[in-house]
Amino acid sequence: MSAGRTVLPAGYSRLRAGGGTFLLHRRSICVATALSVLLAAAVVAYLCVGESFVAPAEVVRVLLGRPSPDEFVVGTLRMPRLVTGLLVGAAFGAAGALIQTMARNPLASPDVIGVSHGAGAATVAAMTFGITSYTALPYVSVAGGLAAALLVYVFAWRKGLDASRFVLIGIGISVALGSLTQLFLTKGDYLVAQQAKVWLTGTLNGRGYDQAAPLATALLLLTPALLWAARAQRGMSFDDDTATALGIRVGRIRLGLATLGVVLASVATGAAGPVDFVALLAPQIARRLTRTAHTPLLCSALMGALIVVVADLLARKLLSPIELPVGVLTAAVGAPYLMWLIRTRSRTGGTA
Amino acid sequence: MTANRLAAKGLTLAYEDRTVVDGLDLEIPHGKVTVIVGPNACGKSTLLRALGRLLKPRSGAVLLDGTELSRIPSRQIARAIGLLPQTPVPPEGITVADLVSRGRQPHQKWWQQWSDADEKVIVEAMERTATAELAERLVDELSGGQRQRVWIAMALAQETDVLLLDEPTTYLDIAHQVEVLDLVRQLNLERGRTVVAVLHDLNQAARYADHLIAMKAGRIVAQGAPGDVVTADLVREVFGLASVVVPDPVTGDPLVVPGAPWQRPGQPSGDTAATGAVGETADAPTE
Amino acid sequence: MSGLARRRVGWMAAGALLLLLAVVLSLALGSRPIAPRAVLDALLHGGTSDDAQVIRALRVPRTIVGVMVGVALGVAGTVMQGITRNPIAEPGILGISQGASVGVVCGIAFFSVHTLSGYVWFAFAGAGIAAACVYAIASGGRGGASPVKLALAGAAMNAFLASVVTAIVTTDAETLDEFRFWQVGSLAGRGSDIVGQVWPLLAVGLVIVAAMARGLDALALGEDVAKGLGRSVPLLRVTGWLGATVLTGVAVAAAGPIAFTGLAVPHIARALVGNDHRWVLPMAALLGPAMVLGADVLGRVVFAPSEVPVAVMTALSGVPFLIALVRRKKAVTA
Repeated sequence: MSAGRTVLPAGYSRLRAGGGTFLLHRRSICVATALSVLLAAAVVAYLCVGESFVAPAEVVRVLLGRPSPDEFVVGTLRMPRLVTGLLVGAAFGAAGALIQTMARNPLASPDVIGVSHGAGAATVAAMTFGITSYTALPYVSVAGGLAAALLVYVFAWRKGLDASRFVLIGIGISVALGSLTQLFLTKGDYLVAQQAKVWLTGTLNGRGYDQAAPLATALLLLTPALLWAARAQRGMSFDDDTATALGIRVGRIRLGLATLGVVLASVATGAAGPVDFVALLAPQIARRLTRTAHTPLLCSALMGALIVVVADLLARKLLSPIELPVGVLTAAVGAPYLMWLIRTRSRTGGTA
Repeated sequence: MTANRLAAKGLTLAYEDRTVVDGLDLEIPHGKVTVIVGPNACGKSTLLRALGRLLKPRSGAVLLDGTELSRIPSRQIARAIGLLPQTPVPPEGITVADLVSRGRQPHQKWWQQWSDADEKVIVEAMERTATAELAERLVDELSGGQRQRVWIAMALAQETDVLLLDEPTTYLDIAHQVEVLDLVRQLNLERGRTVVAVLHDLNQAARYADHLIAMKAGRIVAQGAPGDVVTADLVREVFGLASVVVPDPVTGDPLVVPGAPWQRPGQPSGDTAATGAVGETADAPTE
Repeated sequence: MSGLARRRVGWMAAGALLLLLAVVLSLALGSRPIAPRAVLDALLHGGTSDDAQVIRALRVPRTIVGVMVGVALGVAGTVMQGITRNPIAEPGILGISQGASVGVVCGIAFFSVHTLSGYVWFAFAGAGIAAACVYAIASGGRGGASPVKLALAGAAMNAFLASVVTAIVTTDAETLDEFRFWQVGSLAGRGSDIVGQVWPLLAVGLVIVAAMARGLDALALGEDVAKGLGRSVPLLRVTGWLGATVLTGVAVAAAGPIAFTGLAVPHIARALVGNDHRWVLPMAALLGPAMVLGADVLGRVVFAPSEVPVAVMTALSGVPFLIALVRRKKAVTA
């Protein structure tokens, strides 16, 4: 054996810390750092721009907790909405990564497995029956999303969770619920239709700490599970037989990833409506940037947050004083970039 | 002699409503190369999948050191039994070194992702399979033969006493087939690893096996040393093919030559009987 | 083998019967039920009774549109799942329907088009442009328009175009009010002028697909095998995509976006007659219209006299079938 020769897989570095050794994918770390920097820049820009312009220096002062004359505008008016956007984006990005890994299908997203349409149907139904308060609706939509996903589980479960069966049944139930929503929209009152349409597109308008708090709690509670998922995902990129042969409990991991993805997506949908294209786009973009063999969870979350913050910034500013729902622009921001990546990068992501 | 580690007891295997293997008892000889042969759809791959716990038995059990596989944690099995499926799918965009290192998965903890021991095993696995110079290449870009060697390297990196291979020579040209099988023999010889392989080619099976298992319709028809098992009678019984069995000119192992020459329609059929007779006499020397 | 062939012929016959039944029901049922005998009378001997008028002027064109839309969607979905090798590919997911929506929204908002037959060309142009863009994006880079790239480019395009549509309708309430009725997908009010507009295109689409149908079987075996069988993979993909685009365009132009039919019909057809596209495509062409017409009839009856749009009804009535089939299928397909 040639001494001193290293066989570390290309692109990885080894980190020794205490008794442990960790493998780090250098490119992923660079991408994560770059995304964080961009995100920080987007956050500052987001807080600067609005009806009145606030100098970046003042924004940074507010962010650092120093007294500033613009504290009210930045800290009280813009900050809550920004925080919600950040969390929603991160949650959708992570949910998308988990669901795509679990389903082994790059087209899978919360939209596909029933969450978005369940939330949509529940919310629009509630609106049609006169529940319009923004304190009640989020709970209705979270419940709707979880219930729909549970329905998909029940129908798809047959001696285990087969990925393609799960996705197909998910689509079936999504389409059925989507049709119900449409029915409510066409049969319902015009004003409700307009309002529901905005909700169904996803918006951060009027969202604040009330919506952000449950989401933050969920993310915090799920952190250990997310750490587990980030590592468990690696094994899911094999076929089932090979993975089982390596001692990976495929069924259990698939169930875990799906549950985690569903919960994250439901809670995020409750906060901002189905901004679900983020969940489809962010993981694919992140994976193309990191060039890893699996979908990177952290980078997907960062990418999701970045897309939502930038999209909401544009949504507030583009046609001001008219405000667009953020869901309109998340796809407009993310999709062209993904298309460009598909066109230029030679590598493809995810097996069908 | 060490006790056999892997065995099956009253094993019944089925897909949905189709029973493939019914009440099968089997001992895998320790430290030997066992090869399972049989016609298509005789249940040989199904049996191998069950031995590697990829398929849950309908009834009966596969025993590892006397314990039912279903009672042993998956990770612990993965440290004892390595398995290479027929058509493994690599993660997209993975490099060779990365793929081989995934074989260490059952030995690693989340805080112990790349120990010196891991590294040593991986280097060795890659050198044995002559894949070290491919380390930085993408698996997607490799030829069939290279790819198969990489998969075997991954299975080696898993460092298991028992290695199950499902038709490891499919898609390979004859030189690579020999290369892979030589590697299997060598591993068995140097490390005393128990190998169970499903092979299509009866002659390769006869040449490389210590212990041959012939299956038909989910049952074991014969098992034992290839020299004892491979006869014209067996080939006729298992594959329904008339043949002549002669000693392999290189190794002396039995060599099966399909025995009924193609005939122009209408020609007198006396020849077939004659070939059969030749078959009977020809395998006499091997016994 | 003969058992399989017999089963296939049996299912085809059952599919044809089902379609026939759907056509008869579609002609006979509605807010004004008409006896089948009277229907036949009106079709064969004309007549000027109210019933005959209703049938000839309203129900016949509507039924024909339903058949055309169903055939187009069933076949287009089969082709798309074939060339992307993705079981969830369908016109709605790959951005083509969404392209048609953009066309119609632009027609309403910027060109003051307000009739159903006026929408047709806008929808068709939108679908065509979107499909061409998706293909151009997917074919860039190494490996050409591979299944994964095609599926992803389609999904990204779908997302992008959806946001264009929403951007227009959320800023323009009048357009939304008109567009939401088109977007829901319906056969209501579709007359013979629409039939006249789209039938040549339907024929073109079906011919294209028929020409490449055998290629789908080759593609299903993987790119290398397809090449080995002497097929030009890029050519197969382009013709398949073109055929599917034309057919989707026909369907969306005629009835608005009807999700689900394009997804479910190929799965149901495959479950019945196996994976051979020479059988799957005709089966899909029988089941598609049967599903669309059946849903349309149900939609006319359940809440009569008001109508439930066909797209809503297709989904609600078709989903149980899909779930039952998917559950029945063995778990080894992944």
